[in-house]
Amino acid sequence: MTTALRDMIANPTTAELDLVARYGMQPADSRRERLFEAFSRTGLPHRRLEAWKWTDFKVALQGLDRPSTPPAQDPIPHAGALVFRFSSNGYFPPDHIPDGLNVFEKDEAQALGAAEDVPLGALAASLSGGKARPATLLLEVTSKELPRLHFQFSGEGEANFARVVVVVRSDMALTVSESHLGGAGLTSSVIEFGLQKGSTVNRAVYQRGTSEETIASTALVHLDADSHYTQTSLAFGAKVARLETRVTHQEPSAKATLNAAYLVGKDLHADFTTHVRHGANSCVTRQLTKGAVLNGGTGVFQGKFFVPRTAGQYTDADMQHKALLLEDGAVVFAKPELEIYADDVECAHGNTSGALDDDQLFYMRQRGLPEKTARALLTQAFVAEAFAEAGALEEVLRAEAEAWLAAV
Amino acid sequence: MRTMLKIENLTATVGEDDDAKTIINGLTLDVPKGEVHAIMGPNGAGKSTLSYVLTGRDGYEVTGGSATLNGEDILDMDPEERAAKGLFLSFQYPVEIPGVPVMTFVRAAMNSQRKARGEDEISAPDFIKQSREIGKALKLDAEMLKRSLNVGFSGGEKKRLEIYQMMMLEPNFLILDETDSGLDIDALKTVADGVNAMRSPDRGMLVITHYQRLLDHIQPDKVHVLSKGRIVATGGPELAHRLEKEGYEGILGEVA
Ligand SMILES: Nc1ncnc2c1ncn2[C@@H]1O[C@H](COP(=O)(O)OP(=O)(O)OP(=O)(O)O)[C@@H](O)[C@H]1O
Ligand SMILES: [Mg+2]
Repeated sequence: MTTALRDMIANPTTAELDLVARYGMQPADSRRERLFEAFSRTGLPHRRLEAWKWTDFKVALQGLDRPSTPPAQDPIPHAGALVFRFSSNGYFPPDHIPDGLNVFEKDEAQALGAAEDVPLGALAASLSGGKARPATLLLEVTSKELPRLHFQFSGEGEANFARVVVVVRSDMALTVSESHLGGAGLTSSVIEFGLQKGSTVNRAVYQRGTSEETIASTALVHLDADSHYTQTSLAFGAKVARLETRVTHQEPSAKATLNAAYLVGKDLHADFTTHVRHGANSCVTRQLTKGAVLNGGTGVFQGKFFVPRTAGQYTDADMQHKALLLEDGAVVFAKPELEIYADDVECAHGNTSGALDDDQLFYMRQRGLPEKTARALLTQAFVAEAFAEAGALEEVLRAEAEAWLAAV
Repeated sequence: MRTMLKIENLTATVGEDDDAKTIINGLTLDVPKGEVHAIMGPNGAGKSTLSYVLTGRDGYEVTGGSATLNGEDILDMDPEERAAKGLFLSFQYPVEIPGVPVMTFVRAAMNSQRKARGEDEISAPDFIKQSREIGKALKLDAEMLKRSLNVGFSGGEKKRLEIYQMMMLEPNFLILDETDSGLDIDALKTVADGVNAMRSPDRGMLVITHYQRLLDHIQPDKVHVLSKGRIVATGGPELAHRLEKEGYEGILGEVA
């Protein structure tokens, strides 16, 4: 078996061999096999793959379990939320599950659509489970009034993988938050949201890691008619961190709002990648990504809207990416893409990066603000726009961003 | 000694090394405490440049001469230091600051200045009370003060907001750069009332304008004509009337 597994990845790195070994320890399961195969096709994604040209996990990931540092603190409040914690130490669900939420902890892996497109998602789905952790955590929401669900993903010196599927039934509503906190060489999770007709989800994602960790979060979102999905992400990066979201508008008149901010310091790297398929008529997408990067930090934005000819008429979609290079030596890569085959659509995009505006800085200093304060205030205001739709968590995200800026 | 702002033989350039252009060219000017001086002059004469040089904007390099405020050399100070010393510029073109509400900004500015001077911060209730009074005097809508600074404000509203900030910050030397432009007749009166309320034996003002109209409301003690980077004529309020009638060509022809 070992040789066959070894052959799965061409020229494997040590970390990849570790992943193969870990796969070998999982119970035999044909779905799991298919998932790992999907991962093996590329192995750890690397710069020679177009979708990963700026975010190379193969080079970055030196050892899976490399303990590095403890996971980052979780700033998202646990009080009042239903917390599901996935750690390399185990799985810690809430004590009490209220009516309106059905929880299924599956020991078998579940198939993942588009597994080839999301190699690190396929990896997470194929390696999740063990240590009393479900291979797949399946949640069904049949209420509008659940407390916020919170998922925390971290390693305790050991690589950690998790797979979650959330189905929100027709006309129901859910608020959900996630923290991706590192704590190992690699932590990778994949979460899917199925929004049935007329349902709404408001999701907040927080990511923070160190320059010794790699972190991947993959989200697959399926939108039925008249559903409304709102996502607000805040990433501080890691050695490499990738937050990838793939949204499919599969029935008419769905709406997706994708907001994100990345604040990246020295030796860190944060990648936001999104893919939105307007596979039905009259769907709306609003996307705003704001970035601020310091010397030695790297921000990556890759956004794509895909509107096929056969569907996607009356699409209304807007993609904005704006980055601030706060110091010399800050790096931002951006690739906004519109691929449109339908003819009656409104799609727009904007992409800018640059330094803070001198006129604004001088105006503020003329009124007495020290330069550092003026810079912090401008950057804060610039970034905060991305948090406007985060509801109750807006203040938490804003405070995290402010604390980071104050320390700059 | 009553002299407040004292500028002597000032020269300054604008632009990067090779294309640096001398815009202020041997300018001498004294504004004593308690006085209001007007500066008039053709487009491009260097009026705004002078205001930027005095407030310390980047890109404007002083190549000679001096400028002091209350006997202190200001030219080596950072802009925020000059502000804390009480120097205020009402911008010809106020800058939009998205995402920073007017009141948040002014409170931060006020407290930064106080801190620099070793004073206590203003309390929130005191700040709000003061803001409400000044807002009312300037006929500014309370809602407006919660909006992002200058964003989406009309030209006239921006100018009124400059005066609001000035009255809130209580500077001791004011430079008004074409504060009258863009104001309707009623707003001009409101703004002038605000400026006049600031007149005091301890304050000096430099009022840059193209129009006699503003000077009807804010009576200057002296009027200077600035041309090609220097003061070429100085007189009483009657000089502004003459300029209005004869134009710059008449006056400048005479001095040249
Ligand atoms: N950053 C700059 N780079 C190059 N030239 C400049 C710059 N700023 C100002 N100037 C030039 O300096 C001269 C004086 O400009 P300034 O704005 O001071 O004139 P002003 O007297 O305020 O005119 P106005 O009445 O039109 O406001 C002009 O010729 C202008 O083009
Ligand atoms: Mg001017």
